[in-house]
Amino acid sequence: MYSMKQIYSFYLFLVLILISTFSYSQGFQVNFQGQKQQAMGCAGTALQTDGASLFFNPGASAFAKENSVNVATTPIFANVMYIDSATNDVYRTENPVGTPFSAYGLFQLKEDGKLKLGIAAYTPFGSTVQWEKNWIGRFAITRLELKAIFIQPTISYRISDKIGVGAGFVYSTGNVNLQKDIPVQFEDGTFAKAELAGKAQGFGYNLGVQINATEKLGIGLNFRSKVQMNLDEGEATFTVPLGLDPNFPDGKFVGGLPLPQVTTLGLSYKLNDKWAFVLDINHVAWQAYDTLAFDYETNTESLLDTKSARDYKNIVAFRAGASYKVMKNLEVRFGGGYGLTPVQDGYVTPETPDGNRAYGTFGFGYELGEHFAIDASCYYTQITRADSNKETNLSGTFTTKAIAAGIGFIYKW
Amino acid sequence: MTRNILSIFTFSLLVVLTACKPKYEATTPEQGEMNPTRFVMIGGGHAGGYMDDALTYEGQTNSVANILAEQFKTIGGGFFNQPYVNQSSMGVSLAGLAPFKLGYKVDCKGDTSLSPVRIAAGGDLSVLNDNLYTASNKFGNFGIPGLKLMDVSNNAYANVNPFFKRMTSSTTSSVLDNVMGVNPTFFSIFLGIEDVMDYAKSGGKNNNLPSTANFESAYSNLVQVMTANGAKGVVATIPDVTQMPYFTTIPWNGLNLDSADNQTLNNIYNPINFFFEIGSNPFMIEDPAANDFGVRQILEGELLLLSVPLDSVKCNQMGVLFPLRTEFILTLAEISTLRNQIAAYNTIIKNIAIQNNLAIVETDKFAENLKDGFVYNGISMNAKFVSGGAYSLDGIHYNAKGNALLANEFIKAINTKYKSTMHQINAGNYDATLFP
Repeated sequence: MYSMKQIYSFYLFLVLILISTFSYSQGFQVNFQGQKQQAMGCAGTALQTDGASLFFNPGASAFAKENSVNVATTPIFANVMYIDSATNDVYRTENPVGTPFSAYGLFQLKEDGKLKLGIAAYTPFGSTVQWEKNWIGRFAITRLELKAIFIQPTISYRISDKIGVGAGFVYSTGNVNLQKDIPVQFEDGTFAKAELAGKAQGFGYNLGVQINATEKLGIGLNFRSKVQMNLDEGEATFTVPLGLDPNFPDGKFVGGLPLPQVTTLGLSYKLNDKWAFVLDINHVAWQAYDTLAFDYETNTESLLDTKSARDYKNIVAFRAGASYKVMKNLEVRFGGGYGLTPVQDGYVTPETPDGNRAYGTFGFGYELGEHFAIDASCYYTQITRADSNKETNLSGTFTTKAIAAGIGFIYKW
Repeated sequence: MTRNILSIFTFSLLVVLTACKPKYEATTPEQGEMNPTRFVMIGGGHAGGYMDDALTYEGQTNSVANILAEQFKTIGGGFFNQPYVNQSSMGVSLAGLAPFKLGYKVDCKGDTSLSPVRIAAGGDLSVLNDNLYTASNKFGNFGIPGLKLMDVSNNAYANVNPFFKRMTSSTTSSVLDNVMGVNPTFFSIFLGIEDVMDYAKSGGKNNNLPSTANFESAYSNLVQVMTANGAKGVVATIPDVTQMPYFTTIPWNGLNLDSADNQTLNNIYNPINFFFEIGSNPFMIEDPAANDFGVRQILEGELLLLSVPLDSVKCNQMGVLFPLRTEFILTLAEISTLRNQIAAYNTIIKNIAIQNNLAIVETDKFAENLKDGFVYNGISMNAKFVSGGAYSLDGIHYNAKGNALLANEFIKAINTKYKSTMHQINAGNYDATLFP
């Protein structure tokens, strides 16, 4: 029989999946899948932490010593400011608070068994960008909402005391909703609008190897495949003057968005009983995002299929962090990272005004008895990017400030 | 312990959250070496806010002169007065007609389509009745519909142009007298379009293009007077008017023939060596020099004017059995005359500007860019009629958005010349064609 606590944890786990809406990030990749990692500069591929290792490295999960269920959420407060270079006008986003979440269940069939089974649900990509009313880039974008949830059943196996491997299958489902103004005016001067919405899904996998080379040194390798999110049954809705209705027929459209492949080499080093250090080097194959295309079922002279060049490039990011055990049940953590932007000059868009980014993090973990633990983290970054977009000729400087404060709960047995 | 940690965490969270909005540090625009305290602009309809073939309150508000004056205010410019049409008036055209708007029109075949239509049978002629001049609040915008460079010093001009008569200080004062009455500290000259428009709009019939010598002496005199008291200024070149939608909308080969019509026309015209085919064909036009019959097919590159009566073309064989009259056409020779003349005027304008150390706005480049098309903050702009975004429904004058874009060209030219740092305006907020 399940205990009440177990039932409650499982219930919470399900609820979080069901009510999941989440949002925001630059380059539309959200690196908030584990509170311990988040507090240590979002690194930790070579460290078996808790259920979050199912995402960071399914190979490390093979070294889990108990069953655990954990849930976490990380509200993101992100604000973008745009200063137009010609007019010096300033415009801001009014983004809703993003709430990426993660939920993990990691189970062993018998005590200290070599085989672990895991289920993970997390939100690694997405954003809601809402620009202020009548902003200068309204004909490029007024609102973009991306929601995607990844569900990843996983098997991990400890080959030896030193080597663990793991593999997860990823099913992803999500919604896209893109809104912009069309530079066509009603008789009262208001602008026409376009809304493109639809459900997308995709598949992928997550592979990991963990090598505990020595007592102190761990090496982790993780490969998360590209997930091509295909939107086959999009609905395009146009609010246009009656006289132009025939030019903008509502109808279906097809689109897609690649979520790139991520390869990570991680190192962990346990200096002593108190200090541990982690380092991750990510390679993100953003080159997959070369074009954003919309293929409308019904084309007219005014409504042609669009192919917007994005030409993202592959990037690397460095993330590092440390943890320090203050006392038996309290650990503090801190870290930071630096990531290059995948967005090349001439391709910065107001939906992902990305730039090279440095960030800092801190957090703590506190154990309440044998079964229960709380982890919290805080992340801060500021990004400034000046660019002139080749397609829209929007020319100005985007400044983004983002703070993400997360909290997670673990129940283990 | 846990409570302490949580409260410390919450506290630090609140601290960082308040710091979460990126900071904006405003910069103050500077006037540099120019002084916009008393600004005047002299020009034709394009400077005065004439659009949709009428002078209206709305159009004047969005005149290139007024948009510029608004930006001048950020660097010390004073109040800028215009001879406004009453806000409740529909306005009036040069020919006394009502302005255009985009509406539904039923053609001779009974087909309904979107088309520029006059908002009323006649314009509001009362606009031209009153004289609005007040000595205490002199006008800054001398963008007067129809004003030619050749007329700026004409003392009797108030009797010629009712749009000037309604704003002049006296019926015996010239436009230039009025302008100098303001004692301008900064001026803009946007003249020359009206000087070539008679010729262009009449299909070359009104052969009154000023000679380059006359143009040069008039322009030179004007600049001399304007700069006599040390005022600085900006001058605008003349766009190639043949790039305006008024001249480019009706295709030269818009005569579409089915097999029966094709047969009929070939039967009629083959004996005099004109041939037709099924599909698109050149229209038939009058050309006294062409042959004994004085007719020929229009050539590629020749322009049909928007004054062509389209119903007659669609239903009464105009352009087919009844060739289009020369007043509807700019022939290759006429186009080349017009372009050569504009190019010569522009050379004169630029030389005089350089000699007098004035800023230059190349509106000919602006019109050229529109013809080629460009994207402005996500808005596709081009020189297409109705949909192009910059020209009003008369196909000649810019709409509010076109004026705003052009005003930005003035701002750029002034900033460069006089080291001022005026900001440009967001032309995206200005109206283009409004659709029913």
